[in-house]
Amino acid sequence: MNDASANGAILSTKGLTKNYPDGNVAALTDVNLSIPRGQYAAIVGPSGCGKSTLLNLLGALDEPTAGSVYFAGRSFAELGGMDQFRAQKLGFVFQSFYLLPILTARENVQIPMFEGTLSAAARAKRAAELLELVGMSHRAGHLPKQLSVGERQRVAIARALANNPELLLADEPTGNLDSKTAQEICGLFDQLHREQGMTIVLVTHDQNVANRAERIIAMRDGRVADDRLNKDGAR
Amino acid sequence: MRFLTFVTKNLLRRPFRSVLTMMGIALAVGAMVALVGISNGFVESFIQLYQGRGVDLVVVRAGVSERLTSALEESLGDKIRALPGVRDVAGIMTDVVSFPDLNLYGVPILGWKPGTFLLDNLKFVSGRPLTAQDGRVVMLGSVLAKNMGKQVGDKVDVFEDEPFEVVGIFESLNMVENGSMIVSLAELQRLIDRRGRVNLFNVVVTDRADEGAVDRVRQEIEALAPGMSAMTSESFVTSDMQIQAARAMTWITSIVALVIGSVGVLNTMVMSVFERTQEIGILRAIGWRKSRVMRMILVEAVLLSLAGALVGILGALAITTSLSRLPSFSIIIARGIAPAVIGQGILIALILGLIGGAYPAIYAALLQPTKAIRHE
Repeated sequence: MNDASANGAILSTKGLTKNYPDGNVAALTDVNLSIPRGQYAAIVGPSGCGKSTLLNLLGALDEPTAGSVYFAGRSFAELGGMDQFRAQKLGFVFQSFYLLPILTARENVQIPMFEGTLSAAARAKRAAELLELVGMSHRAGHLPKQLSVGERQRVAIARALANNPELLLADEPTGNLDSKTAQEICGLFDQLHREQGMTIVLVTHDQNVANRAERIIAMRDGRVADDRLNKDGAR
Repeated sequence: MRFLTFVTKNLLRRPFRSVLTMMGIALAVGAMVALVGISNGFVESFIQLYQGRGVDLVVVRAGVSERLTSALEESLGDKIRALPGVRDVAGIMTDVVSFPDLNLYGVPILGWKPGTFLLDNLKFVSGRPLTAQDGRVVMLGSVLAKNMGKQVGDKVDVFEDEPFEVVGIFESLNMVENGSMIVSLAELQRLIDRRGRVNLFNVVVTDRADEGAVDRVRQEIEALAPGMSAMTSESFVTSDMQIQAARAMTWITSIVALVIGSVGVLNTMVMSVFERTQEIGILRAIGWRKSRVMRMILVEAVLLSLAGALVGILGALAITTSLSRLPSFSIIIARGIAPAVIGQGILIALILGLIGGAYPAIYAALLQPTKAIRHE
């Protein structure tokens, strides 16, 4: 157990470094972070600063060149099966939604649940509840192509919540949305944080989106350039 | 939603490609089931015939691969009959004739002694069996009589200027016999100028339940005269050169078809995985284990194969049933296919699916989520 965990951190990193395969370009260098449980944090920075690389490492989608990531005090190496960890503890929201085109909204939300123990009926019930939560009940039977981009992202958020994760990771969740829709999606993140105490780590290049978080971590050239609490955030 | 629903939807997203792959499997499995079914049906029919008549041993000229050319002295029959443990013996001569005007080729003509036990298992649809007083008379199998349009009392030109009167129309346990004609052994020996000769002897052993007794009789028969080979009826049927050649051709053709079918599945599943690289990356990112991704691809491949097998088996049943009704094929193709052969077809389709799906499944499971998600 590391120090951050003792302080109630759900997620922390120690000396996190990621070099690209040729070994010459460092995407991340010695990143040390601690995200307390229930915090809403935004990682900001210009393109190529390493924020998405950091999110991939935090989400166990990639392996660091050096350093470690800890979840509730245990390093990923200790946790073992990363697939199961991602399925049970994490929820992912992507910029391009990545809904499966052949499945309806209702079915897309159920996809992560195959890694759980729910019966088919229980999966359907849970999907209905989540679509209700994100305000998409009325579109449950529609395919992604029949939904607006904002609606698709709502469904993707419902999918991210499918297995009741402890941590929600979002990579540019408003990057493909117009400003009005982006505000609505941000409102949804606010609601999840406020009403469910969800820990959220969100990567964005949009300062308006970042300003809604209660903590803003600024990245530059693969390093944490600034890390501050945002007293106006998480309304 | 069930896992199987998701898998099925994946197959239906490219319905044309799925149907084409399925048809490839259908052709492969259908060809295999039809060919093996016909071949096995043919062999089974002969084995049943011998077993039905209680024939335990068949005696032929040793080393002769073509049974029609086997020649043994007819008088050896009496010596075999005199051996202890032998209940009955029947010498048989066989040849083939054709009736080009009726489009009937390779019709077996059998020479049997009147009164032989071989006649006991024939069911007469009309007329009567051969008698010792008969001369140029013939019995027709029911299928042959139908194909020739002959009834009892009609004449049949067995050979040129050799009209034989039809005295009986019979049904046998064996489809080849149903397409054959039977004359007296003496008449056939005369017609083909092989007097005093037979192709083979059918031997019934007294204590047939005792395998040791059957084997002792077999050894004693072979000791009677040099160059005689006695074998069990099942060995005799399965060792027939023509049957072995037909079986070999059947399996070679089937294997070629099955290889082509499995390559079809492989191609379809590889294409499908490549096209869905990003989706598979997403599935991995949201926590699907490698084993579940593999299972998804394998189940898709197996479903395609099994659907193809179902279509192929139905097609094979339809084809064999249709062919068995045609005069030219009715004496060699039995109606229907043994359940065991259908089971083999399903099993092979399952294996084809697993083989065709294995590489794409492993490839998909090993995709790195972050790289796969970036794939366009």
